Amino acid sequence: MARKRSPARLVIALSVAAVLAVFLLYTSIVGGGTPMIQPSELLGRTEVVSLAGHVVGSPRGDAHAGGLRFQLRDIRGEGQGRVTVLYEGSVPDLFRPGRDVVVDGQLRNGTFVAIPGSLITKCPSKYAPDTDKSTT
Amino acid sequence: MPELGRAALVVTLALALYAVVAGAYAARNRKRRLAHSAQNALIAAFGSTIIASGVLVVALIRNDFSFVYAAAHTSRDLPTGYTISAFWGGQEGSLLLWLLILTGYAAIAVLLNRRSARDLIAWVVPVLGLVAAFFAFLVVFRASPFVTQVAPLDGRGLNPSLQNPYMMAHPPLLYLGYVGLTVPFAFAIGALLARRADERWIVATRRWTLVAWTALGIGQLLGAHWAYEEVGWGGYYAWDPVENAALMPWLAATAFLHSVMIQEKRGMLKVWNVLLVLLAFSLSLFGTFLTRSGIISSIHAFTEGDLGPWFLGFICLVVGGSLALVLSRLPLLRAQTRLESLVSREATFLYNNLLFVALTLTILWGVTYPILHEAVYGEQRILGPGYYNFFLRAFGLPLLLLMGIGPLVAWRRASLRSLAASFAWPAGAAVATGVLLLALGAGSSIPGLVAYTFSAFVLTSILYEFTRGTRARRALSGGSWLRAFSDLVARNRRRYGGYVVHAAVVLFAIGVAGSSAYDTVAEGRLTRGETLAVGDYRLTYVSLEETAGSNATELRAKVDVTRNGTSLGTLEAGKNAYTAEQQVSNEVGIRSDLVRGEDLFLIAEQLDPDGAVYFRAFVKPLVNLIWLAGLVFLLGSLVTLWPDAREQRRLALRYARAGISARS
Repeated sequence: MARKRSPARLVIALSVAAVLAVFLLYTSIVGGGTPMIQPSELLGRTEVVSLAGHVVGSPRGDAHAGGLRFQLRDIRGEGQGRVTVLYEGSVPDLFRPGRDVVVDGQLRNGTFVAIPGSLITKCPSKYAPDTDKSTT
Repeated sequence: MPELGRAALVVTLALALYAVVAGAYAARNRKRRLAHSAQNALIAAFGSTIIASGVLVVALIRNDFSFVYAAAHTSRDLPTGYTISAFWGGQEGSLLLWLLILTGYAAIAVLLNRRSARDLIAWVVPVLGLVAAFFAFLVVFRASPFVTQVAPLDGRGLNPSLQNPYMMAHPPLLYLGYVGLTVPFAFAIGALLARRADERWIVATRRWTLVAWTALGIGQLLGAHWAYEEVGWGGYYAWDPVENAALMPWLAATAFLHSVMIQEKRGMLKVWNVLLVLLAFSLSLFGTFLTRSGIISSIHAFTEGDLGPWFLGFICLVVGGSLALVLSRLPLLRAQTRLESLVSREATFLYNNLLFVALTLTILWGVTYPILHEAVYGEQRILGPGYYNFFLRAFGLPLLLLMGIGPLVAWRRASLRSLAASFAWPAGAAVATGVLLLALGAGSSIPGLVAYTFSAFVLTSILYEFTRGTRARRALSGGSWLRAFSDLVARNRRRYGGYVVHAAVVLFAIGVAGSSAYDTVAEGRLTRGETLAVGDYRLTYVSLEETAGSNATELRAKVDVTRNGTSLGTLEAGKNAYTAEQQVSNEVGIRSDLVRGEDLFLIAEQLDPDGAVYFRAFVKPLVNLIWLAGLVFLLGSLVTLWPDAREQRRLALRYARAGISARS
């Protein structure tokens, strides 16, 4: 009768093992994700990161010819750190000074060179009426 | 007016609390009249919530900006349809909608089951009351939609990207789904509390789960279609945490829908089913927590309010309380039969469940990874789309295949000979499709090729099932093929409706694989008269026009489209500048070819002052099958849900039997 007990447990054990194997395979191939940081934490880091920041000043240049340049500061706090981002590719509708954005890329000679097309803006205030009236 | 709204919500809270306390006391001490009064309290709570919602709707329609909520989410020039949809445009209104749907569901569940499952419903009422009380507490004390102010001249308007017909249907459908999962959860917990661990709670809530699951599925597809048409980056799903928040409970509910069948037929997996329904419900709470707490960065920025801790506390209470209850009732949940063979219908259901749960948990891991990583290493790390796409393939493709295998395998123990007979056609079709596609050059994407081969397998196995069933029916009762077919479906709505849903999933998989693995993209800056080639299409930029709409200035670039030399007319893409909201939004041009199922998707990314336009164009093969899948999915669900007198009689018999076996 002991054999009758085994199939379900065997299946579950095998599946758990399979899931773990797939997971290990994945982490060994792709690695453990991209760091998500703010401009003030960027200093001295040169690996690819996701940079979340608040757009300040006025953007210059053309995202489809030579690249768009804009400055980011920390979203929260009075962030001392500012960084200039050089970006090419499509610019979301909601991008403009005063908005929070996330962009992937890496620091090269003091400029954050973005991966083309990686810029996303967070939806603005209409989902969140009470934040930050000064920006609109 | 606002006083009426506030008072109505306080009444709802009081009634819900009464349902909890009186309901639990009555159920414990078997006080029938008190239990009845607790049920009525829950029904009355629906009434008072309707009143509160009515007050809010009237305030929105009348542009009564003394309501902070109306001023924050509408403006005078907003069309009336959208002023009503502003009801769920913000946090307070969303929570009120949640409460409204929850009390509505609770009222219907009580009315439908108070006679047929009296001892069960006695314990269901306090559970439903507890969930309702939590949401009523939030809208009374933490996020009231009835806060007033000195009325400003105009409101701040609704986010332009929400001014879209899909946004009128997508959020309510998601809520119908999220909240709908409360009912099976409450029945499961109620059954455990009542020590009635037979399958009655499952039979009583089968339709509820189906309704919630259908609404959640359709709601997500509408959201995807909205993203495709309105957000305009050429995709429809981005593995954003908020999107995942809706996907996870749906996946858990899909697993649950399948595993309940094993409990009904074979009396197995009782603990598993309770855990699955708990998982589905707590994931729907978790989804609301994600959107309401702002703890994980998402492109959907909802109010980053102070509700996060409340939700977290409630989730802990729900999960902890339910697990403790399951542990204390374990002896009641022992299986009546065991798995006899690894090649049997119930075994394929088991594999299906393990894959669904594995997929759900890997998505959950991806969503929570940033917080966990920050907790351990002090820095957030995010897992990008690559992570999710990998696991979608690793678990989704086997699931697709299993969908074709499952229906062909017999219950209990399948013989090899019968397997070979039923698998011949589907396997042959799959191989033929694979070879044909390879010859046509589909080998450029291996996952795409695998998805198509598996899809052919599943579709053939579904067709095989329908033909086999119809033939047997006809042999039994004679008559025409059509008659036999409709008889077959009518007598087994659940089974054949399920197959229709499976067909929808296949269409969906074909659409997703086609549009993501085999799409073409081209981009470039064009001045008037210049041409961009993408796939078989050539796009010539003709003119740029500006018109004044009711609440926006509309800029449109007109583009002549030809394919292989034949003219296909013009396509427009451009931008709207919304005056009240001071926002610009992309308005993409989409040309759907319904015969080929492919879309030409045109974005006017940048409009230069000199009249030049930077275009990006996609050709997305088979993408329309995704939307078609939505219709087929709905059809299949309706077939399954359609009332069936014969089934009702069978169930009544089973109720009686379950009652007897539980008492003995």
